[in-house]
Amino acid sequence: MTILTGQPPSEAIGYSFAKATSAPVREHSFYPYTDNGGSTLGISGSDFAILAGDTRSVAGYNINSRYVPKVFKIGGDDETGEGAHILLSVVGFAADGQALKERLDAVVKMYKYQHGKSMSVRACAQRLSTILYQKRFFPYYVHAILAGLDEDGKGALYTYDPVGSYEREQCRAAGSAASLMMPFLDNQVNFKNQYIPGSGEGHALEPKKAEPLPRKTVEQLVRDAFTSAVERHIEVGDGLQMMVVTKSGIEEVYYGLKQD
Amino acid sequence: MNHFPEAWGRPRDDIYGPYNPSYLQTTGPKTHTQSPAVTGTSVVAVKFNGGVAIAADNLASYGSLARFTDVKRLRKFGESAVIGFSGDVSDMQHIDRLLESIDIRENYSTHGNTMNAKNLHTYLSKVLYKRRSEFNPLWNHILVAGFDENKKPFLSSADLLGTTFSAPHLATGFGAHLAVPILRRLFPDEESIETASKEQAVAALRECLKVLWYRDARSLDKYSIAVISEAGIEIEEDQQIEAQSWAFAEAIKGYGAQVN
Amino acid sequence: MTSIGTGYDLSNSVFSPDGRNFQVEYAVKAVENGGTAIGIRCKDGVVLAVEKIITSKLLKPGANKRTATVDRHIGIVSAGLVPDGRHFVSRARDEASSWRSVYKGPIPVSALSNRLGSYVQAYTLYSSVRPFGVTAIVGGWDSEAELAVDGQVGSGPESGSGGKIQGAKTGGPGLYMIEPSGLYWGYYGAATGKGRQAAKAELEKLDLNSGNLSLLEGVKEAARIIYVAHEDSKDKDFELEMTWISSLDGPTKGRHEEVPKGLLEEAERAAKRALEGEDEEEDATKGDANDSERMEE
Repeated sequence: MTILTGQPPSEAIGYSFAKATSAPVREHSFYPYTDNGGSTLGISGSDFAILAGDTRSVAGYNINSRYVPKVFKIGGDDETGEGAHILLSVVGFAADGQALKERLDAVVKMYKYQHGKSMSVRACAQRLSTILYQKRFFPYYVHAILAGLDEDGKGALYTYDPVGSYEREQCRAAGSAASLMMPFLDNQVNFKNQYIPGSGEGHALEPKKAEPLPRKTVEQLVRDAFTSAVERHIEVGDGLQMMVVTKSGIEEVYYGLKQD
Repeated sequence: MNHFPEAWGRPRDDIYGPYNPSYLQTTGPKTHTQSPAVTGTSVVAVKFNGGVAIAADNLASYGSLARFTDVKRLRKFGESAVIGFSGDVSDMQHIDRLLESIDIRENYSTHGNTMNAKNLHTYLSKVLYKRRSEFNPLWNHILVAGFDENKKPFLSSADLLGTTFSAPHLATGFGAHLAVPILRRLFPDEESIETASKEQAVAALRECLKVLWYRDARSLDKYSIAVISEAGIEIEEDQQIEAQSWAFAEAIKGYGAQVN
Repeated sequence: MTSIGTGYDLSNSVFSPDGRNFQVEYAVKAVENGGTAIGIRCKDGVVLAVEKIITSKLLKPGANKRTATVDRHIGIVSAGLVPDGRHFVSRARDEASSWRSVYKGPIPVSALSNRLGSYVQAYTLYSSVRPFGVTAIVGGWDSEAELAVDGQVGSGPESGSGGKIQGAKTGGPGLYMIEPSGLYWGYYGAATGKGRQAAKAELEKLDLNSGNLSLLEGVKEAARIIYVAHEDSKDKDFELEMTWISSLDGPTKGRHEEVPKGLLEEAERAAKRALEGEDEEEDATKGDANDSERMEE
């Protein structure tokens, strides 16, 4: 307000107003995410798919708990997950992971109640993508992997980014030790940088063709991947939870990992 | 009164001085709780053979001021569940009233309490997750102690982000750093938890609170401790940390007598 | 006198020329057909009892309760249309919870009755609704001790809160009856439903206003009165439902609860014995009364 000279004193008084532009725009200081660490890994075979994850939950340098599962049965008949034929693993922000798992589980159950048949893994995969994208501007901060058997009975593995972009893959590692495990899997599952000996010289050297591996081999690869990740990443450890989908259902195995 | 209606009712600069405009409404984002105000520090808890023990001190701090020294941060729910609160005290009161209304509604049916500690934990974690998703968090980290549907001892945690985890020994805040290692050393595995007596559990918690009293500047030597067993809830709300030994402080610069 | 053909009873909220609201009176008629409900305000608590007529042998005994709890410390019984009674209770619970959300403590029985009275009265004002077909008895115990505020964390100042008169008595039993018109009074003893006349006569004999009757005696009397009131509709089977609210140091610790099975059965036995005692005097038949009673059991 301008103070006019020569005006009566009562008119010359200054007043204070809110200044819309003077105060700096405050940002929210509440950050709604945290990283609960750990890693997950999925590999599909010709008639099975494996999803595995370590069971450690962390907050910074603290270990919250040594047993918090990251792999879940989806669309089971009861709270134990009995009767399910789809697996979901989530790694990243555990609360979002839990919420996502519960939503997908409800969706798959509703599908069965409404249509009288189980949801195909392909349909479930698309639906999961939609659920994630619906929260595009406040994402579920998780890397999800979905596993099951496709229409031909072959192992199916779908991998996601936090906002719902997805693709079907042979194998994928996610979470804090993903970058440690993925190159190992590229080499051991997809035979990257492996060549047929004596097939030629230089560029003529023929790459070894990837083909689905037998279950025993895959299980051993998963164990090796995790035992190695435990050695090199502080957020991975305590236990390895492994779930295998076959046409006869879902088997669950647990192996102890180092707790250091 | 002057000719400027927009100035009517505004503070006069000649009397009050120029008003600090940062207190006036700005065009910033809608702000909910950005930080806690009056807070409680650690809650510690451990399972034993046949139940769970949980403890927290009686202090509510206002920043570094020890504001209220007779605050009960352990809350009973029904006949077999106790919730330990750390973090914002007013949010704790809000949750306490929520629980009160649930308890009243539960008792409208003649079969009485149907919610066990596990159900309660699920409920509370969803309340917390919902509030964080609305960017209006309830600024607490809680431990829920009691029994699950199979009458087995239950202990689980939920925080302001909705993150949940369960373990045989849990502690919030500073206790996660100081108390959990003590509890993990005393009860290293499943077996030691299953054979631990109530007395051992209680003694362990008292020891943890003593260490916290030595090292956590926001703690108090008056505390509450609750034991949940098949017999019901025993809660003692005016305990005193005993057998203190400050000998260790002598050797520490800036802690005891040695100032410079 | 007669309203037939006058048309003043066709719409709710309409007065007749002689100042009556017929729809409300018809609602009262619905109440007069319901099972008898009573409440007794004793010195250390309140008893509520209701005669639940068994309309079918296919109904599960002990199920389909006609007494309801509101908050923790208040009970409601009603006579008349059962669904109206349920809605009434639902409203009472909402009122109690809204009171808590504002005042952070339990609603006094008087305040709840007042709000429910206003609620019921509102249903006599509009042509789009009909009055409640129930008369409800609201009984409860307002805590005589200084209550902690809901969510209170500390013990507060040691010297006690200010503005209090030392030694003044607070809390105690409360009993109110709310009629379809919205009219409500506080009572020492209240009765409604089919057997209300007989029940009122019995209640008046108890000298309740002297405040000497204990809760335990009240339970016995309540059972007896329901049995007495049932005499006129003996052809129908009934269940006796009884709830009570005692003082904080009493058996229910200020909470509204069902009267325990053992005590309820004892009260029923005593009620039957008392009734047969009366029959003996009237019929002048002696000797086998007690035997027949034992056979019934």
